[in-house]
Amino acid sequence: MFVAEWLFEILSEEIPSRMQPMAQEQLKSLAEAELQTEGLGFETIRTFVTPRRLTLVVEGLPLKTAERTEEKKGPRVDAPAQAIEGFLKTAGVSREACAILDTPKGQFLSVTIKQPGQVTEHILSKVALTLLEKFQWPKSMRWGSSSVTWVRPLRGFLCVFDGKVVSFSYAGIEASNRTQGHRFLAPTPFEVQNFKDYEKKLREHFVILNWQERRQIVKTDVAKVAGELTPLKDEVLLDDVTGLVEWPVALKGKVDEHFMNLPLEVITTPMRIHQRYFPLMDGQGKLAPFFGLIANVDAPDQGKAIVIGNERVLRARLADAQFFWEQDQKHPLEHFNVSLKTRLFHQHLGSVFAKVERLVKLSTRMAEKAGTDPKIVGRAALLSKADLTSQMVNEFPEVQGIMGRYYAQNQKENPEVAQALEEQYWPKVSGGGIPDALPSLILAMADRLDTLVGFFAIGITPTGSKDPFALRRAGLGLIALALNPRFTLSMLETIGWAYDCYSWDELAVPQLKSKKETLADLWKFLLERFKFFLRDVQGSPYDHVEAVLNVADQNPNLFDLSLRVKALDQLMDGEDGKNLLVAYKRASNILKIEEEKDNCTYEGQVKEELFDLGEETELFKNLSQKLPEIEGFVKKGEFVKAVQDLATLRPVVDRFFDKVVVNTDDKNKRINRLHLLAYFRKTLHQVADFSKIEG
Amino acid sequence: MKVDFQTVILKLQEFWSQKGCVILQPYDAEVGAGTFHPATTLKALGPKPWRAAYVQPSRRPGDGRYGENPNRLYRHHQYQVLLKPSPDDIQDIYLDSLRYIGLDPILHDVRFVEDDWESPTLGAAGLGWEVWAGGQEVTQFTYFQQVGGFVCEPVSVELTYGLERLIMTLQGIENVYDLAWNDPKGPSPMTYGDVAQQMEREFSAFSFEHLDAPMVFRHFEDAESMCSQLITNKLGLPAYEYCLKASHLFNLLDARGALSVTERANYIGRVRTLAHACCTLWMENVCG
Repeated sequence: MFVAEWLFEILSEEIPSRMQPMAQEQLKSLAEAELQTEGLGFETIRTFVTPRRLTLVVEGLPLKTAERTEEKKGPRVDAPAQAIEGFLKTAGVSREACAILDTPKGQFLSVTIKQPGQVTEHILSKVALTLLEKFQWPKSMRWGSSSVTWVRPLRGFLCVFDGKVVSFSYAGIEASNRTQGHRFLAPTPFEVQNFKDYEKKLREHFVILNWQERRQIVKTDVAKVAGELTPLKDEVLLDDVTGLVEWPVALKGKVDEHFMNLPLEVITTPMRIHQRYFPLMDGQGKLAPFFGLIANVDAPDQGKAIVIGNERVLRARLADAQFFWEQDQKHPLEHFNVSLKTRLFHQHLGSVFAKVERLVKLSTRMAEKAGTDPKIVGRAALLSKADLTSQMVNEFPEVQGIMGRYYAQNQKENPEVAQALEEQYWPKVSGGGIPDALPSLILAMADRLDTLVGFFAIGITPTGSKDPFALRRAGLGLIALALNPRFTLSMLETIGWAYDCYSWDELAVPQLKSKKETLADLWKFLLERFKFFLRDVQGSPYDHVEAVLNVADQNPNLFDLSLRVKALDQLMDGEDGKNLLVAYKRASNILKIEEEKDNCTYEGQVKEELFDLGEETELFKNLSQKLPEIEGFVKKGEFVKAVQDLATLRPVVDRFFDKVVVNTDDKNKRINRLHLLAYFRKTLHQVADFSKIEG
Repeated sequence: MKVDFQTVILKLQEFWSQKGCVILQPYDAEVGAGTFHPATTLKALGPKPWRAAYVQPSRRPGDGRYGENPNRLYRHHQYQVLLKPSPDDIQDIYLDSLRYIGLDPILHDVRFVEDDWESPTLGAAGLGWEVWAGGQEVTQFTYFQQVGGFVCEPVSVELTYGLERLIMTLQGIENVYDLAWNDPKGPSPMTYGDVAQQMEREFSAFSFEHLDAPMVFRHFEDAESMCSQLITNKLGLPAYEYCLKASHLFNLLDARGALSVTERANYIGRVRTLAHACCTLWMENVCG
């Protein structure tokens, strides 16, 4: 059968950069689903995105769909005439055309309906419309007098199948075989035959269609203009810039030397966040007075005017930053706390200053218990939110905490206090670094505990996609922090302290939850986040996580639990683990069947005098020795040793099953052997509930 | 080509006049942005087509810097264009307007960068971009989706040129006060500083140091009350003017630091309520 290619481009006004990669994915999955629904097979499907276009190309589509036959079952032969007539009418056939179907329930009318093959082109015009209607943007809009919505106004459809236009019209626009290239460099529309032609002509018209290719060009070319310098690694910025250009051209600009005395972040934040420049670093890893920038054009003056313009904008921004840097330091950091009194944390949870006061209490208590200087932690807590009302953070919110550190350093605060002011916000992203210093760690945890406990206590918890106070993020952050081995406190207990730090009487919250209820809700929420962490961040299989959490539900030390899961991962990776699991399953199956049969649980004392065979004695001796050993390892958190010990049981238990018949006729011996199996099960359960492991 | 401040304005007037816009004068009350001019806010409502363009001096008391900062101003100038319904080729028309005043989009790497616009006091929101020229934001380009709490049908497009920034880019200068206001080679050359620096100094001192907050709070109450009375009497345009006054008084109080965060939200809510009432009345009176 002949096959052909479908090319569909949706041309629009500029699509926000951050939405482009997801749009490309969505177009692909939507198109796959729609083609399937229409019964259209294909070989490959690819999608592309630039700031102005979203493109789909499907290869290997048939020119016509195959004829389809469908068997339709009707009413019984002896059904009332009305029912039969109705059936014939909907099926569009006469009584004579029907076959009779013999079934155990009687004779039924049946008809075979032939659906003739359809011309693919017709189906595609329908699919194109469906794609436009079903596509979902994070935010969409209307324009002109049309009621259609899209991310920005739609301006054209290029829709070609097998070299010919697939005609349809949407939002007042007729599909054609024409499109446009770069907005400025080659604005004249041109015709396109097929995808190969399309991609080539776009390139001739200054458009690199492939997002990945553009990204690579951005990366390589910035490095090229940087020369001896190295662009600061920033994947997010790379993505963002890629979505702002169809024809990336790298240029290099200069930063005025006198700004170089400002802190690194104060210089790079306006560069990266506001202007999308790449900061350049010298050989010593110091910020150099230059930046890389990506233009969307090859300018006839080699970009001179563009560089001058961008340098001017950066100069204005850095002049502001310099002004704020000087103004902010006219007062001691603590002075900014005054403005926190009128800044609301939450309607029912008081001002940000009230939060600061709670943080002082909570983190001091945590410091006392954790054995670090409560004065340092308390001081850090008192200053923790001061920089939020500084002019610099007002202008550049991204440098919160960082400014706190600089200002504290310059005002000769204790270095650990200054460090904690910055590190309280770590981890900044999922999987980001966590503080190592105990004061920072405690402040970071206290901040999240206070937020989580507060919102849970007033009944605000994340539901579905709604999480306006970013509590999930706070939860994940808290878990990541708790996994620092230096945190040795009980999570449950600290949650309780956080609850007690609130002045609930003064706050007069309607429908406040009790401490007990808040603790239970929050702990359940944290365990869910923890499971997510173990699976998606640590990369442990789902069943291992379940197996460990099932025996360790009451162990509130998350760090221990994560180590235990890791050790289990390691064990199950090897042959010993797999065989041990087989033996475990065999043992627990026998136990399950016999326990059900006898309606009891076999957990009694094993009696050595009832053993017949050496293998029984061997297993019992091994278990008697290993169980207390493993228990000890688990208590000390030495899980690798614990699973290594478990692994040594494997040959012993294998020999046991080779030689010993559990269900012997001797009633006492049978029960004794069941007790021995239960002893084996109990030993394994010291580490994890192996019944949860798939294998 | 001459690109002094007033020539650019004249050119923009000429350009948009050719596109069928009525060329209006600035609204003669203090406003924070060209959007507040009734020719934008109110005319964006309802089904009737409308095209208007005008300069609007815009007061941002919080941005006052005593005439000393090269980029920030108590009062800057916006060139405001509103087209309803938004034409299909509006991006091309807009780019032509840049070429018309001598800004070559290729030489200055003109870019459309996502920026959704929202005015909490007007209950207005739209989607669009900030337009960059050489990394400088020179225009806010917005498709109005909602104004005064009403859905815009049809949709208007609003173009707000920041004249100082735009012309600084054109003249390639660093300090706003050095901008040539009229022809620097003419018989009486004037800079932006000659024309406006004294005003910047005095109004910055006024709003940061000498503003009598209790008095301005009273003025706010009065403006709010007058607006409500006018609404009761079905006089939408005078009511809207008092809504603008309330909005400006709020800006003054805000710049003075006289409002806590909660109070601030409360005052924004009060202005929004007035704006919504004015828009509702406008819809009744004019759009039926």
